[in-house]
Amino acid sequence: MSAKRLRIIALLAISTVFLLAWAFPIVWSVLNSLKTDSDVLAYPPKLVFAPTLEAYRDVLFGSGSILPNLLSSVIISVGTTIVTMLMAVPAAYALARLRFRGKKFAGFYVLATQMLPPVGIIIPYFLVLRNIGWIDTYQGIILIYLSFSLPFAIWLLVSYFEDIPLEMEEAAYLDGASRLKTLWRIIIPQVRGGIAVTIVFVFLNAWNEFLFAVVLSGNTVRPVTVAMFNFVSVEQTLWAKLAAVSVLAMLPVVVLGVVAQKHIVKGLTVGAVKGGGRR
Amino acid sequence: MATTAVTSAEITSEAPRSDFGRVLAQRERRFAAALLAPAFLALLATTTFPLLFLIYTSAFRMDLAMPFTNGFVGSENYQVLLSDERFWTSLLVSLVYTGSTVALQVIIGLALALLVMDMKRGQGWFRVIAILPVVLSPAVVGMIWRTFMLAPEFGIVDFLAINAGLGSKNWLGDPTLAMVSVIAIHTWQWTPFAFMVLLASLASLPEDIYEAARLDRASAWQRFRRITLPLLRPAIVMVIIMRTMVALTAFAAIFTVTAGGPGTATEILNLYAYRKSFTELSIGYGSALAVALLIVTIIISGILFAMRRAK
Repeated sequence: MSAKRLRIIALLAISTVFLLAWAFPIVWSVLNSLKTDSDVLAYPPKLVFAPTLEAYRDVLFGSGSILPNLLSSVIISVGTTIVTMLMAVPAAYALARLRFRGKKFAGFYVLATQMLPPVGIIIPYFLVLRNIGWIDTYQGIILIYLSFSLPFAIWLLVSYFEDIPLEMEEAAYLDGASRLKTLWRIIIPQVRGGIAVTIVFVFLNAWNEFLFAVVLSGNTVRPVTVAMFNFVSVEQTLWAKLAAVSVLAMLPVVVLGVVAQKHIVKGLTVGAVKGGGRR
Repeated sequence: MATTAVTSAEITSEAPRSDFGRVLAQRERRFAAALLAPAFLALLATTTFPLLFLIYTSAFRMDLAMPFTNGFVGSENYQVLLSDERFWTSLLVSLVYTGSTVALQVIIGLALALLVMDMKRGQGWFRVIAILPVVLSPAVVGMIWRTFMLAPEFGIVDFLAINAGLGSKNWLGDPTLAMVSVIAIHTWQWTPFAFMVLLASLASLPEDIYEAARLDRASAWQRFRRITLPLLRPAIVMVIIMRTMVALTAFAAIFTVTAGGPGTATEILNLYAYRKSFTELSIGYGSALAVALLIVTIIISGILFAMRRAK
């Protein structure tokens, strides 16, 4: 009995340690964002302090406000999501449902594009975009974001299209509806849920991207992940403000992540399951 | 589809069935091509074209700081690369970084999944909290760790180290500690991924096998070795493959924390290619480094996929 009890206590201890380890850096950033700089720098670290929204006021409405950067992030993420979905939904339907030569190869190609290291994409793209004057533009960033959002969205959507029963489609087709009409009226409504999940993940990935953004951003287009750097320089770190910006950058993705909780494993492993054939 | 062809053919005309089938198949092909065209054009433009252009630029000297020296150099960049000590160091750093982070993620993730699977209450906590790190931008994660966690004295990790009697450490200034730090940060962020995937596949294992094993008086360890591990193998291998690909091209969570430093202590090959191209502005040589990274990626994934097929 006591051995069993010891086991339970050990389990509880281990669980607590891991839950704390994962939650703490995030919680700590939130706490620091509500402190003054001197409270952030206090030693030993302060758990109890007089909370203030000063840091948020400063980063949002002070000089060097990050509102334009948040707006940049929103435009980039929304733009990427719209363009991606417009292209990925039809492509995923074709890959999941239609019969044509080279289908297997097409599916493989979509997967294989993900093998290319992002740094290998951005080097040539930097040269191209520089030549056509698209550095520091939304169209430049959104275009290159398709390189990772499209394969991801296509594969995630294929898995949802494959789940709908074939009969519905045949019935509609027999009734004389055109293929496009069948797709639009019958199929799309069936995969609404899958489309919503895909939108969440595409947005999330675009919001979080950093390498392409850091190379292509400038004074006009600078998402918040890149703008964060302004708060940490060699001379000084603006501690509380940095914490506030971090929290603002984390907020949308944490909300989306928790909303899409049930689908997160599927979203994280998409493609891998199909990659080497079914198991 | 076959029945469709028959019924429609009967109604509309006397045309031979095979002909009508061919027309339908052709229409289906055209429709498929129309649906696929936009996405595939975009993928060609944003992945295949850059790859070809990358290989092309790797045959040039392309120095943005000294344009007058630019020109075609053939395989010179690759010859330089083979005797470039910094390249070999970065390759080694890449392998250490990838190997250790992936091993840690899988081991900790699997252990936790087994532990949580046995829990009667509190699973929900894990399911929610595990989501937090994986949805965050690695750039934000890097910034948080660099400042609030690892800064000397008031950074929590350093605070704990001081109180554990280890003394204050220069976590990001010492080459070895900096490497340990970036490995720990990556492991912190992505272990929940391995945990969630393995927990999901554990939950999908058939219950009755365990019942049988329990009746046979198999020990917990035997059950793990003989039943759980073999059944979980495909999921584990999948996690290893996915995490390896990501770790090899990790960027933001190193760039924001150490930027590859101190010196080149945490400079993985991916970061070297970036620094060469965009900090030192040697685009041609940077391209060659990126091609080398692609080759390394292909070799490693080839080995992993072979492991997946092997029993």
